Amino acid sequence: MDFAVTSKTVGDTAVIYPHGYLNNIAGESLVKECNSYIEKGITKMVLNFGGLEFINSIGISLLLSVIERLNGSGGTLCFTDISSYHETFEMLGLTKYMLIFRNEEDALAHLGRTSGK
Amino acid sequence: MSLELKKALYSISSLADLSQEINSEKNFTTKIQSVLYVIMGTFLANKGAIFWHERDKGKLIPVAGKGFNETGSPRLKIAVEHVLPLSKNEPYLLGDGNDTVLSRPLKNSLRKAGAGLFIPIWVRDEFIGVIVLSNKFTSEQYSPEDFELLKAIANQIAITMNNHSLFINLSEQIEKNRELYEEMRLIYHDTIQAFAAAIDAKDVYTKNHSQRVAKYAVAIARELGWNEYDVEGIYIAGFLHDVGKIIISSDVLNKKDSLTEKDLKELRRHPVLSSKILSNIKFPWKDVVKTIKHHHERLDGTGYPSALAGEEISEGAKILTLADSFDAMTTDRPYRGRKDLNEALVELKNCLGTQFDGRIVAAFCKILEKEIKGKLPQPNILPHLDKDFDLSVITGLLEALIQELSR
Repeated sequence: MDFAVTSKTVGDTAVIYPHGYLNNIAGESLVKECNSYIEKGITKMVLNFGGLEFINSIGISLLLSVIERLNGSGGTLCFTDISSYHETFEMLGLTKYMLIFRNEEDALAHLGRTSGK
Repeated sequence: MSLELKKALYSISSLADLSQEINSEKNFTTKIQSVLYVIMGTFLANKGAIFWHERDKGKLIPVAGKGFNETGSPRLKIAVEHVLPLSKNEPYLLGDGNDTVLSRPLKNSLRKAGAGLFIPIWVRDEFIGVIVLSNKFTSEQYSPEDFELLKAIANQIAITMNNHSLFINLSEQIEKNRELYEEMRLIYHDTIQAFAAAIDAKDVYTKNHSQRVAKYAVAIARELGWNEYDVEGIYIAGFLHDVGKIIISSDVLNKKDSLTEKDLKELRRHPVLSSKILSNIKFPWKDVVKTIKHHHERLDGTGYPSALAGEEISEGAKILTLADSFDAMTTDRPYRGRKDLNEALVELKNCLGTQFDGRIVAAFCKILEKEIKGKLPQPNILPHLDKDFDLSVITGLLEALIQELSR
């Protein structure tokens, strides 16, 4: 299955929706999508994994690159709907570096609270 | 499930990811970048690069990368001579006790760029390149299990890169051979053209005759759908068809009075003489010599040297006959002036079925029609003809001939 990425902005936050299989080089579009928001000055981001069907080592390395880029620009990255992948992220020791929320609303509410800073 | 088991399963699935990428149909650049992503995702390295040992230049060239060499960060450069003395396919961790074996410049370059680990990759005695990784994103140390996995991955990548290198070498060799062949082909053509000029020079009336015949023959062959290889063969045959005239007396060739029986007999030896001269040359195209030998045969069997008739005459010989005769008609000869295009076409028509094959004449007329209407970017026939013909008469004649022959 192909990989696709869509996104929208909610206030000063970008919500990114990866769809399909994040398991090959096509996943670079996810990194590009996130980077394009960072370049526009948007540093609050929600990655909604609800539409993601599969992730492998390639997907993990691309995620690392998103996390690092956003951390490097002093931003906040929230993850939602990751239940299918939680175990993998935890095993890899990544959950320590991820802000995880049950769903998009919770993540947006959290980011809304931090908007004043 | 224990954490160790989960990690082991993740390692196994990473190996599966690796083999999927290595065996994919993707181009090499995409493939090697994907492979790098697999490694980085497997070991949670946020920076990674794969360098390729370019043997000719003795340099390590980055073929895949992420994180290193990005704007602002110091360039990661690795010199081949610093890597060659190290163990093959063994990971080297910076900052641990083992790194004393690494040369200072190598260590400095790796550290400055943010590298934490690297592994020189080899296939047998062939140095293939280097994989470089940063430390783990999670700040965990690389474990002995990581090293074992990395060695297995490095071996696979080495073989993939080596195969690609062999393929590149082969492609380069093929390209070199092709260039060499092209050069030889041009030299061959030049030689043949020089040879043809020598033939034409002997007969003052037939300057450039061989060249025109070659061009006309090529045009007809293409119109008949010949492939380019065979087209080249008929081009060569066109150039060399009169080579036997070298042996025939200039007095006969340039005689202004009508030829005697004896002169004719002498002149008619030239196709056989041509084929005898050329029979010692090993042409890559089949039938060049035969085509030349029979370029004066006639469809009705009254030609020479073998009085072949109809289908006994090869298509190549028929093409050459028409090209040769048409040029003879439209150029001055010692014993008569040239015909204009109109007269020449009428003669082609009159000699249909006796001297010329209808299919060949039809093809020739179609080319002429296209050239007159400007439909061919590079006309082969028209530039050699007098321009004073009446366009409507000629096109009418051509159309009528083509129509008659299509029946």
